[in-house]
Amino acid sequence: MSAVVDFPVKPEARPYLEAFGRDRRRGDPAWLRGYRRRSLARFAELGFPSRRSEAWRYIDLRQLEQRPMLPTARPTPVVTSALATQLAEIGLAEPSYRLVLVDGKFAPELSSLDQLPSTVRLGSIAAAIAERPDLVRSALEAQSPDRPFASLNAAFFAGGFVLDIAPGIALERPVEILHLAAGDAAGALYTRSLVVAGQDSRATVVESFAGSGDYWRNDVIELRLGAGSELTRVTFVAEGVDALHFGETLARLDEASRLSGFVLLAGGRTVRHDVTVRSEGAGSRCDLNGVFLLSGRQEANILTTVDHRAPGGETREVFKGVATGHAHGAFQGRITVRPGAQKVDAHQLSRNLVLSPRAAIDTKPELEIYADDVKCSHGAAIGDLDEAALFYLRARGISNNEARRMLIEAFAQEAVDLIEQAPLREHLRSRLTRRLATLEE
Amino acid sequence: MLEIHDLHARLTDGREILRGIDLSVNAGEVHAIMGPNGSGKSTLAAVLAGRDGYEVNQGTVTYLGRDLLAMPADERAREGLFLAFQYPVEIPGVNNMYFLRTAINAQRRHRGEPELDAGQFLRIVRAKLKLLDIGEDLLQRAVNVGFSGGEKKRNEVFQMAMLEPRLAILDETDSGLDIDALKMVARGVNQQRAPDRAIVMITHYQRLLEYVEPDRVHVLQGGRIVQSGDKSLAMELERRGYGPVEDAA
Ligand SMILES: Nc1ncnc2c1ncn2[C@@H]1O[C@H](COP(=O)(O)OP(=O)(O)OP(=O)(O)O)[C@@H](O)[C@H]1O
Ligand SMILES: [Mg+2]
Repeated sequence: MSAVVDFPVKPEARPYLEAFGRDRRRGDPAWLRGYRRRSLARFAELGFPSRRSEAWRYIDLRQLEQRPMLPTARPTPVVTSALATQLAEIGLAEPSYRLVLVDGKFAPELSSLDQLPSTVRLGSIAAAIAERPDLVRSALEAQSPDRPFASLNAAFFAGGFVLDIAPGIALERPVEILHLAAGDAAGALYTRSLVVAGQDSRATVVESFAGSGDYWRNDVIELRLGAGSELTRVTFVAEGVDALHFGETLARLDEASRLSGFVLLAGGRTVRHDVTVRSEGAGSRCDLNGVFLLSGRQEANILTTVDHRAPGGETREVFKGVATGHAHGAFQGRITVRPGAQKVDAHQLSRNLVLSPRAAIDTKPELEIYADDVKCSHGAAIGDLDEAALFYLRARGISNNEARRMLIEAFAQEAVDLIEQAPLREHLRSRLTRRLATLEE
Repeated sequence: MLEIHDLHARLTDGREILRGIDLSVNAGEVHAIMGPNGSGKSTLAAVLAGRDGYEVNQGTVTYLGRDLLAMPADERAREGLFLAFQYPVEIPGVNNMYFLRTAINAQRRHRGEPELDAGQFLRIVRAKLKLLDIGEDLLQRAVNVGFSGGEKKRNEVFQMAMLEPRLAILDETDSGLDIDALKMVARGVNQQRAPDRAIVMITHYQRLLEYVEPDRVHVLQGGRIVQSGDKSLAMELERRGYGPVEDAA
């Protein structure tokens, strides 16, 4: 250990400190360099989360501890046919404003932003750091200091995007962000992004993640919903079979704004999707829905925290989990209603299918209510396929495998069907179908 | 077409429900099976269709010259065996049309015929609906979900009409129906009648047999067929009930 440090360092953080020491980051402005150093120190102090911490109970970090995944100095991405395939598999068929990030870096030749109205700004985080440092800085500083991997992300992030929608603008086409991984070398990809939905604006953002090879993606995003704005945010995780994917979202909802979140976890070895929603303005509404489909030795964890700090908020959550083989899935959903946040109406549902004796799913609802005039409820279930339904299908000549697939699809589709925009719903339905074709093989 | 010989079947708890069934159904025939509640009629249908949870501990069943009991349930169906359920199952999230098309195409693949595309399928559906006087809206919904009792039974008959089975077993398809629905079911069954097909109707009521004339009527009681006759047996049962039948056996 050559670098001289004057703060406590957990052993698993050392390789990251050394990597940080090697990393020159010549382009960074002084404020960012300082911010990165502070974040790294924070990470070094925290180390990896322990499995005893509730939020990390269900993800096994031992492998990552033994084999650090450091940021690699990746060359400027070349557009290979493998990337083109990834694009075709995850891209929307409908017209979109498309921004492609390859290994976190903006790939203009794969993107199509020219139709974007002038009231909407969409570009790489690198460009935003240069052009609008205050905006980026405020987003970085909104981050909680208690999240080790977000701190690590702050130290190393090299790519990501910023979307800024002017007040009153309704974007008809979806904004599509495609996160690809070129698979050149084993290593970590750190991306940091920001979406600002101006007052009374309306937009849809679809983020899809795919890749090949051995990588750890660490993605952190903040969504800021101005008063009266409506943001639909769809996340599709179709990472490569060996990939680790840790995604953290912080959404801040101003008065009467509405966030509709949907996530489909379909690929990656270990996937963590962690969403925190802060209802800061009165009468905001948040819908969080999603599905995970796991087989083999896949691990996935969806965590949602909805923090009602203002009165009159509404939350609806529907999560469906399916696990087979040796897979392990977990859903942790916390809803907090703070004192004074009266008339909050929150409902959460977690339903799960465990299809093999070696697979497991944990579901853990947590309601913390500190106001008296609220409606909050949750439901959770874990089960197997309905035998009577299975027999009914087979009695009509449908093979056992196909009948199972149909029932699993129907189960998962219930959550997909909550997506309001028809083309987007179809897009996710077809991704779901595709994943199911190989789920029980 | 169907030869059942000395069939015994029991539940997983060991209770024997079928206790030596003998039944022979030839192509072109319609048979009716009657019998008191709990006598084993649905169990017989379930064993023939291949439902799990029953153990056949004695006897044989030959269907079209093959050992029926050796085939998995879905293969039996693809080979032309159809069971109209006494209690059709609700399957949330599975669209009725999609379900039926999957079933028909599974059968067609099995026979080496080309699959039907959505358009071809729809044309056949419309023709059958018209014959049976069923509304198309039922098909746009999830399988049996929220269907009334009568609608579920109609849906069973509609599926039979679509799949055109060689051997159809109808388990109380006439129960709980109003008179128009009953006529519809009878029409469906009569349309299904053909020299190379057979039908077994499980029923409690002589009424259905007025519309669909059976070649044979059997009484199943205590897990056995205790009496067989022509359609006059059904009329006799209607008059005097099942009690004396057991004495006669
Ligand atoms: N899967 C099962 N589990 C437990 N008991 C069963 C099962 N299947 C059948 N039985 C029992 O076997 C007996 C025969 O039932 P079955 O449904 O065959 O009667 P049924 O003749 O069709 O009667 P109904 O006229 O009322 O429809 C009954 O006592 C029933 O409770
Ligand atoms: Mg019965």
